Parts: sequence; C-alpha cells; structure tokens
Amino acid sequence: MERRVVITAASAITPIGHGKKQITENLLAGKSGIIPLREDALVNRFIHSRVYGTIDYPIEYDFKRSHRKTMGPVAYYACQAAKEVLEESGLPQDFITSGKLGVSFSSIHGSPTVQRDIYRIFFHAKDKAEYQNIGAVEYLKSMVHTTAVNITKMFGITGRVISSATACTTGSQAIGFGYETIKYGLQEAMLCGAADEYDTTTVAVFDNLLACSTAFNNEPHRTPRPFDKLRDGLVVGEGSGALMLEDYEFAKKRGARILGEVIGFACNNNGGDLILPNLAGITQTLKLGAENAKINPQDVDLISAHATATKMGDIIEAQAIGAVFGDNPYVIGLKSYIGHTMAACGAIETIMTLYMMEDGFIAPTINLEEIDERCAMIKHVQKVLSQPVKTAAIQNFAFGGVNTILLIRKLA
Amino acid sequence: MTRQEIEREIKNIFQREFEIENPGFDDDLREKYEFDSIDAIELLLEIERMLGSELTQEEKKQAMDIRTINQICDYIERIIQTRSKAA
Repeated sequence: MERRVVITAASAITPIGHGKKQITENLLAGKSGIIPLREDALVNRFIHSRVYGTIDYPIEYDFKRSHRKTMGPVAYYACQAAKEVLEESGLPQDFITSGKLGVSFSSIHGSPTVQRDIYRIFFHAKDKAEYQNIGAVEYLKSMVHTTAVNITKMFGITGRVISSATACTTGSQAIGFGYETIKYGLQEAMLCGAADEYDTTTVAVFDNLLACSTAFNNEPHRTPRPFDKLRDGLVVGEGSGALMLEDYEFAKKRGARILGEVIGFACNNNGGDLILPNLAGITQTLKLGAENAKINPQDVDLISAHATATKMGDIIEAQAIGAVFGDNPYVIGLKSYIGHTMAACGAIETIMTLYMMEDGFIAPTINLEEIDERCAMIKHVQKVLSQPVKTAAIQNFAFGGVNTILLIRKLA
Repeated sequence: MTRQEIEREIKNIFQREFEIENPGFDDDLREKYEFDSIDAIELLLEIERMLGSELTQEEKKQAMDIRTINQICDYIERIIQTRSKAA
C-alpha cells in the first residue's frame, strides 16, 4: 500500500535569513544574501570569483558539550534547523525515540573546515603529540554523514538513517528518499534535509571550471543572475534546511498542522558526462516526476528551477521545462537570493516554495533584468506576484549527472 | 604527586575540558555526565600531559573500563608507582 506523505514542519538557515519570517520578508523585498568572499588565508587569494552567499548574522546555539564535541560547523547548521523542526512539528518525545522516526540528512562532504585541520596535521605534524590530534572526534565532525548522526544523537532518534551525498542533489534526494521511506511504510515520519558550511574549496573547484560568477565582484548583490542575458556563473553559498515528513493519516490523527503534501519524486542519471548539463537526462527527470506524482504536467503552477546562472545550465533547464511543462507554470530561480547552497539547495528551495505556497505569493528571480532569448520559452517571474500556488515542482541537478525533481501540493 | 594533587588536577581537567563541575568521586561518569569513549581518549591525552610522558597502548587499554573519578585517580597513582619502581 502506498501512503500519502505530508510536510508538518520546516525551517531553514539561509543567507537571507533564519526561519520563515525573515526569509519571507526578504523574498518579498527582493533582498540578496550575496556578499564579498571572506579572507581565509588559504586559496582564496587565487580565486577569481569574490562573492559568496553568506550567513553573516549570529545564531544562538544552546547545544551542550556532549553534543558539541562531535559537531563541525555544518552539523551546527543541521542540528539547529532540525531542532526547530522537531519543536514546530509538536511530535511527542516518546515518538521521537520510538524508532518510528528516521533521519534523511546530509551534506556534500561533511565538514571541510575540520577536514582542512586534519590535513594540516597530516602534512605538517612534527611530533606524536600533534599526530594524536587526529582523533575520533575529528572524524565524527568531518565524515559525510556527520549531519544525520549528530541529529540522531542530539534528539535520541532511533529509526533509519539515510545520508545520501550527491553534491547539489543531496538535499532534494534527502527529501525524496524520506518521502519514499514513508510512502512505502518503512517509517511513520522522517526528518529530512541538508546543510553545507562556508567553504572556499567548493568555490575554487567551480572557479577553475570557469563556472563561477566574476563580473559582479564589486556589486555582489547583482549576482547570480538566473536566466538573465548578463549571467556569468554561479555563486557558492552556505545554509541548512530541514523538514518533517509524516504519513498523512498519522499527521491527521494527531492534529498536526500540515504545510503541504509531497506528491512525487523522481531521480535519474544522465548516464555519461559527469559535469555538463544534459537535455535528454533532465527532460526525462521532469517527465518521471510528473508520472510519479500522477499529475498532468499542465497542473504544475510553479517551478523552482535549479537555475544556477551558468551559461549552459540555465538554457538546458529552460528547454527541458518548456518541453515537459510548457509555458504554463511560473518559473523562478531562488539561487538569485542565496547563491548555490550546495547540498542544502534542494531543502532550502523546497522550504522557500512551501512558504510561498502557504502565504500565496511568488517571489521573482532577482537580477533577471533582461531574459536571455534562449531561455525565453518559459514563464519567468520578474516582480512579486500575489498568486495562489497549488502544485509546485522543485528541480535540482548535480555533478555526477544526477537529476531530481520533487513535487509538492497545498492541501485543500 | 600526592593523591590530593591528582584529585585536584583531575577535577580541574573535568571542569576545563569537559564542562563537568565538581563531579562526585564515585559518580558513574557515563550515567551522570554522558562521559563516553570519545571523552575517555581525550582524558588520556590530558593524563599524558599531566604526567609529562606518553602512556603505552597497554596502559591506555587498561583505562577503558574506568567509570568514576576515584578509579581515574587510582589508575594514575598505579602508573606513577609502576614508573617509579621501574626507574
């Protein structure tokens, strides 16, 4: 039996704010969270792109030492968002620890800050005392599933753990796999999401691929520019997003507030090049998503596009959307506000879409001043629309040729 | 080092490194303060600093069943005695 899956809580830490109120206000105000790249005394003096989607406001954490000791910066972001989601969900403590709640959470590669510290010791240790600083704690902070298991430890969650790390589709897979876990009856609820911390090595990788924005280094808020004629690449960002997914009947029975329903998920691979966007692969993902959700593509009102603002990526995505969904749905690129938050992007963009769905508006793609004619076959949004959204799709694509689409719907 | 000095230093370490204020000498550290295997490894590094010498792998393994401050102090006393005899 397939069960319906609903979202009962959501929270995000993003370059444009923490929590629904700040994020919604800044979406409505068209505020960018892109600021100059920080000095790191490492490689950033070589990086051409000087911009970053940064969390530059304080976050008050009250984690005790027994939890802090295994947490790098990425786990702080993840655990804080998870804590807020658990509180908002109203799930009772005995359920949280019952084994009926699982966690589907990850990051692109654990904590790069801690990994750098490990390698500093690895390459420069002068004596045994320094060598001994590579301990279990450093591994627990830096391993790829550090976010998921620090969440399970902090809240005593004993159900399944899924920690799929697939670069930019990490967050959307976390939600998609959590959705499938409940849909097929393996868990009653799943705490899903993803996080990534400030990291210049990620910028360096994209910078060396000539995929980063460099033309707006002196005006960070003007980039990235999804679908715009002047777009010149992505801007790396940081952040975290967490959602509580539950079996619909279970949520209804306990009187939970339902933010939306996950109605479909699809994931595939391009089966070839690990970097270049692939029209056939992406088009197939979108078709599979509509099939999985058992909807007519024309039923989709809003698409949160992956839209990283790279030259080719945006064109391919626009073509795929046009081919599958036509020009009916509004299409927005939320990375224009926050940059590319890597693992977290699928989770954060799903949460932002939920917020818009809940409040009945569509935030525009900021910096979209002149639409690239090669991306013009879809319905772009250039100003705030007061517009109810019933069905929305969230698209994400990753290095490795991994493509995902999530479909969510507002309950009547 | 006298027993009193060892006890004082261990309590300092617990406050400074583990944020555990004035634990009872016979408190079960795992039960009461969530002191786990990760903390135990960290404590051994602190004990090495305190003694000014490395613990052998065998000595470290002997510490893995320790549960209380009193047992930690006994362990350190034993090591000091063994080493002074060997010297």
